[in-house]
Amino acid sequence: MKYDAVIVGSGASGGAVAYTLCKAGYKVVVLEKGRLIKREEFSKDELAYCRRDIVTPNLFDEYHTIEEKVDGKWVATPTYESGWSFWNGNIIGGSSNFMSGMLHRMHPDDFRLKSKYGEIKGANVVDWPISYDDLEPYYALAEELVGISGYYEKYPYEPPRSTKNFTQPPTKENAVVKLIDKSCKALGIKSLVTPRAVLSKDKGDRHACYYSNFCGSYGCSSGAKGSSREALLKPALATGNLTLMSNTHVKYLHAGEKDEVEYAVVVDTITGKEKKIYGNIFIVAAQAHESARLLLNSANKYHPHGLANSSGELGKNLIFSAGGSGQGELHKESLKHIQFEDLMRTGLFVNRSILDWYFIDHWWDGKFKGGSVEFMFEHQNIISRARKNNEENGKLVWGKALGEKLVKRFTQSKSIRFEIFNDWLPNDNCFVTLDKKHKDKYGMPVGKLRLEAHPHDIKVGKYIAKKCEKVLEEMGAENIYSDVSSVPPQNLIAGGCRFGDDPKTSVLNKYCQSHDIPNLFVADASFMPTGGSVPYTWTIYANALRVAEHIVQILQKKPLL
Amino acid sequence: MKRRKFLILGSVFGLSSSLISKDNNIVFSESLKRIEKTIASVQQHLFPEGSQIPSAQSMNATQFLLETITHPTYDKDIRTFVIEGAEELERREKGKFTFLSEVEKEQALRAYEETSYGSSWLGRIMTLTMEGMFSDPVYGANVKEEGWKSLHAYGGLPRPTTRYIKL
Repeated sequence: MKYDAVIVGSGASGGAVAYTLCKAGYKVVVLEKGRLIKREEFSKDELAYCRRDIVTPNLFDEYHTIEEKVDGKWVATPTYESGWSFWNGNIIGGSSNFMSGMLHRMHPDDFRLKSKYGEIKGANVVDWPISYDDLEPYYALAEELVGISGYYEKYPYEPPRSTKNFTQPPTKENAVVKLIDKSCKALGIKSLVTPRAVLSKDKGDRHACYYSNFCGSYGCSSGAKGSSREALLKPALATGNLTLMSNTHVKYLHAGEKDEVEYAVVVDTITGKEKKIYGNIFIVAAQAHESARLLLNSANKYHPHGLANSSGELGKNLIFSAGGSGQGELHKESLKHIQFEDLMRTGLFVNRSILDWYFIDHWWDGKFKGGSVEFMFEHQNIISRARKNNEENGKLVWGKALGEKLVKRFTQSKSIRFEIFNDWLPNDNCFVTLDKKHKDKYGMPVGKLRLEAHPHDIKVGKYIAKKCEKVLEEMGAENIYSDVSSVPPQNLIAGGCRFGDDPKTSVLNKYCQSHDIPNLFVADASFMPTGGSVPYTWTIYANALRVAEHIVQILQKKPLL
Repeated sequence: MKRRKFLILGSVFGLSSSLISKDNNIVFSESLKRIEKTIASVQQHLFPEGSQIPSAQSMNATQFLLETITHPTYDKDIRTFVIEGAEELERREKGKFTFLSEVEKEQALRAYEETSYGSSWLGRIMTLTMEGMFSDPVYGANVKEEGWKSLHAYGGLPRPTTRYIKL
């Protein structure tokens, strides 16, 4: 069987491409190395989902090596030693199953960062080959398909919209949002409603959110969360055009003399049997670092440096989301403006974000690109919250003192948290290559990630963190702290296959199609030359829908090759 | 960033080769039997009766710990560390830790905590006990949800019906 399209990966981008192509009548196969967990099979099992490698590979079987600078030298550590997993949810639907779903569109200026803000020494900033206007219709389409709830208010830092407002109103909110709004107002800051990929109303066979209190890091049991599995793969399956192959790991793609991918070599992760999957078009959507690794691992005598790598740029300019987070405690005895009982109500969302510092243009601070801020409660996981409160002055607290401390912490206060998202500047020391020594259990070289952040990122993160701490202070929070560092969040990863107009300096063209191999596309966040200052997911959905539309146009002009 | 600190710090005696190399069930079940009482005694000291949270004993915390560290989902190096750390404690206390008075146990554990190895091990035992006490009752150690009740914090719905997603 030869499929019209072979998609590697079933996450946000793979799902979006599969959806579009299947709806257009094409035969598609999605290859996913993880298993299928259905809506009705998910549970809020903290031990299984959050504390063990069950929805991600065992690090002794599949891992990465991470290169960090220690005392001026690059030191590579395999993740099975460090425990620092770079897997983000390897089941049907990928990590979109486990997202918190706080989504924003990128700002129009994010598409022209270099033109707008100029060069920064040591950073490889370039403008995108497309503009916000090119992507806007797909942001709108993703909003509708995925089911993003929210409330739009015209505001200078809010990107313009082609549709008036969200069709899904915001999810229900905890009373703490009143306190956030009031405090922001007192400081002259505008708090905005965070768009969220969670349904507040039923949508087809997906049910509205039931406010379980355990959303991020968990699969959704009502279908409210706009995962690739719920929002895209299920309707794609309903067309009858989708073959969904779980437990199918792609080792490499084969392209011969003709500059055309002919087949994917896959291994059944249960039986270990290998086979070839043939198709007309191949779409790689395995998450940035793994997509680059797959193309590098697909090197052969015709393509000695990997597929789509005539520029030598494959794997380079990997980016993350820079920034950090901070937290403060709201205590029963000092709480103002809202009732403690209302604060302690579980399950409701904190749909608030601040975009006031997206661009800084200040007479004293200067002019530079800033970032966005999200507010949320501390994750409600019980084991992890208990563990965080078992130390005092570097000593473990145990015995009756531990009981007292935990009960007080859980019943007399609640922690409010902020997360900062600012640009991770692409630079020469942040990239993925193949490790020469280490191989995974399938015998393929693992990805080696060199990770270094540009010092500017930390400066920006700290600038915003200070402002956020002021908001928490105004709210009356205690024990406020923030942590901005150069440690990359492994769940917010992009780049490695930059798109651009020049084949000498980019891996993909503006349709995320390989400059070298016309039937090869990369649909995930790999294409992003710069990451904007918001979580990537909405942009990934939107861009994959845009790319898929282009692929449909190509397929309509068959024969392709 | 998570780091398996104990691997970096290293065990005072190195990871014993019989546990690491063979990974065989007989060696493990013997080691587990040997250290079971020590671990139970440490857990009970950390989580005693009369606290605002349930005691380790009343929550079957030791059984949970042993089942957990021998489950395929558990990191085998940490499993070895849990066993060796208990053996090291007994070596320090000349095999008599479980017979010590409460005051002596407190002194012994605080002294053990002074070493980075001991501190790391005690942290691990505490984590394993909390994992039992505050995880879903399906794992056997949050008996009648007493752990959750004590903190007024409850797991979300739906609850798991099997351990480790049927693994």
